[in-house]
Amino acid sequence: MTQTTVKKKAPQKEPTSERGHALLGAFQRFGMTLLTQRPALLGLVTVVLLLVMSIMDAQGTLSGPYDVKYLASSTISLVGLAMLALAQLIVIVSGRGGIDLSVGSMVSLSGIFFGFSYGVWGWSLFAAIVATMLIGAVLGGINGVLIAYAGFPPLIMTLATYYAYRSLALVFSGQKPVNSERIQEFYGAAKAVPIPGLSFIPPIPLGVITFLIPTAIIVWIVMNKTVYGRKLYAIGTNDVAALWTGINVKATRMGAFVLSGLISSLVAIYTVAQFASARPDAGTSGSGMALPAITIAVLGGVAITGGIGRVGGVLIAALLIVWLNAGILLAIPGNIGAQTPLLALGLVLIGASLLNAATKKRFGGI
Amino acid sequence: MSEKPLTTPAPEMEKPARILPPLVSGQEWALVGVLLVLWILLGFFTPAFLTASSVRPLLGSVAPIALIGVGMTFIIITAGIDISVGAGIMVTAVISARLMVEVDLPLWGVIPTAIVLGLILGLINGLLVAYGGVHAIIITFGTLNLFQYLGLRIFGSQTVNGIPGTLDIFGNGAGGRVFGIPVSFTIAVVVMIAGWWFLRNTAWGRSFYAIGGNQNAARLAGIPVQTRVLSAYVVTGGLVGLGALMVVAQGTNSLMQNVGQGRELAVIAAVVIGGTTIMGGRGSVFGTLLGAILVQTVVTGVTQLGWPSNLANFFVGLFIIISVGADMLRARARKKSL
Repeated sequence: MTQTTVKKKAPQKEPTSERGHALLGAFQRFGMTLLTQRPALLGLVTVVLLLVMSIMDAQGTLSGPYDVKYLASSTISLVGLAMLALAQLIVIVSGRGGIDLSVGSMVSLSGIFFGFSYGVWGWSLFAAIVATMLIGAVLGGINGVLIAYAGFPPLIMTLATYYAYRSLALVFSGQKPVNSERIQEFYGAAKAVPIPGLSFIPPIPLGVITFLIPTAIIVWIVMNKTVYGRKLYAIGTNDVAALWTGINVKATRMGAFVLSGLISSLVAIYTVAQFASARPDAGTSGSGMALPAITIAVLGGVAITGGIGRVGGVLIAALLIVWLNAGILLAIPGNIGAQTPLLALGLVLIGASLLNAATKKRFGGI
Repeated sequence: MSEKPLTTPAPEMEKPARILPPLVSGQEWALVGVLLVLWILLGFFTPAFLTASSVRPLLGSVAPIALIGVGMTFIIITAGIDISVGAGIMVTAVISARLMVEVDLPLWGVIPTAIVLGLILGLINGLLVAYGGVHAIIITFGTLNLFQYLGLRIFGSQTVNGIPGTLDIFGNGAGGRVFGIPVSFTIAVVVMIAGWWFLRNTAWGRSFYAIGGNQNAARLAGIPVQTRVLSAYVVTGGLVGLGALMVVAQGTNSLMQNVGQGRELAVIAAVVIGGTTIMGGRGSVFGTLLGAILVQTVVTGVTQLGWPSNLANFFVGLFIIISVGADMLRARARKKSL
């Protein structure tokens, strides 16, 4: 038997009974792991991507070196993307069609507030950050109250606030980026730095260390190690059952949207640093920040029906997309190269969601 | 001798009366009221509002939103959604524009081309949604990116310039009016009436409601759910094609790369404000037309009042929340009365 047929036949039962065919069983387990454990599949795809790109690099078909240094520097676009994907993870896991289209607008609006408070009104950095996070929590809380307590469908509620927040960001800023000397100095928060003591690792953008990694760790702890996280998975899986076990479903669901707003405000602060100005369209220009974030969450194995999704899967998915885009930019020069990520994002999203549906139907897991 | 029939005829069975929904629903009356109040207020505060030169472009810009909104209403009634219509507009607009500029395609060539292009895009969406087993929002997020890529490639990183007046009949100029009414708006109204009749009086149309209400029940009742769902996306695609021509005609003679961007949200907003439930199973295309007029009235009104034009979207958001809230209150009352 060839390996391919083995893989296809894999989804039958627990492969433990196949004692005589130890090798075959191993292949089956491997195939099952790839299909049911999304991080494993994504990890494999990432390795394949890196291999292919390295070979192309060695053959000289790329317009620049696809090396560790390039990969490290390209993670600057990972920060906002991965953080918002984590926000989507939290919201989508909460179930009942949970989704947050307004994250981009929340980034714009809280970014404008940060620009004013830190750059123009001269607040201290600490006060400005805390106040901005508070604004983010309130913006997310407005979504949360109306969705969890008044019963608005999340898709429509966050569509409405997408409009409203984006509009307010443009009106408050007078359609101009908020700019001052202080904000330009704040640019330092986003530049690449070498890690002290670990000089063999190339300089990675500071935002990865100061924003992304702490956020990821906290979200991981909240989702996996706290009562709140377990409640969130419970209401996402079956909110009626969760209600009967005594969980405050409404408060738990609202919390998910507050967290999404909170993370959006952190992304806003990072974006201000990255562009050295607070742009009113920071999160909404083009097709916005929400779409890529949702794409990455789904690619990372988050089931749109709720209750399923892990932090690890989302992070690997974000890394895969960022490195894929970085590779495309080198492999296809010029304008076409700048547009191809759209194609990749679309194909990957449809492929991943069809895979999600198929694996869920056959094996009941992602 | 009386001629008695051997078998007594079955007693005249009364045919069950066809149960049709009311012609105009509560939300639609409310919307008509809101629109009247808004128009009177705007006419009072800005003398320029209730003039032909202000109302005509308003109706013209309502047209593509309302037209595509008819298809979107079908989709949302089946408990689906299509986020990709903005990108679909972009693809059809740029192909039509380039055909007009480069090979001087006449009007009778452009219209079918655009509609067929739209139908193809709708078919892609429909097949993936109906047979993929994945929620429509995810699929159409994906196709949105694909269509955008396609559109940008056809643009070839430059604007399409020097678009001829082939499409003037859909435009805001004098060539785009019959009896003083914009042709594009008339088309939208005609399509709306057709859609209204289709949804209300045909079995195919009623099955959309059944699918949106409970897909499994609909399947068990013998409705071919997948083909019906597919049809809703295909129809929307065709309307996107036609709507794209209106967008091109109402613009300047050069087409920018951001054409169509964000239109999907305006269309969905119009549908939702019109009283169609995003959960599926309820809604009407008449409401969608009113919703589209309301959205454009707010946009026009805000600029004419001299307020920051960006404030318009704030009100659109507010109207979405209010109308969905009103819909939920009525749903609660309906549940109580059962």
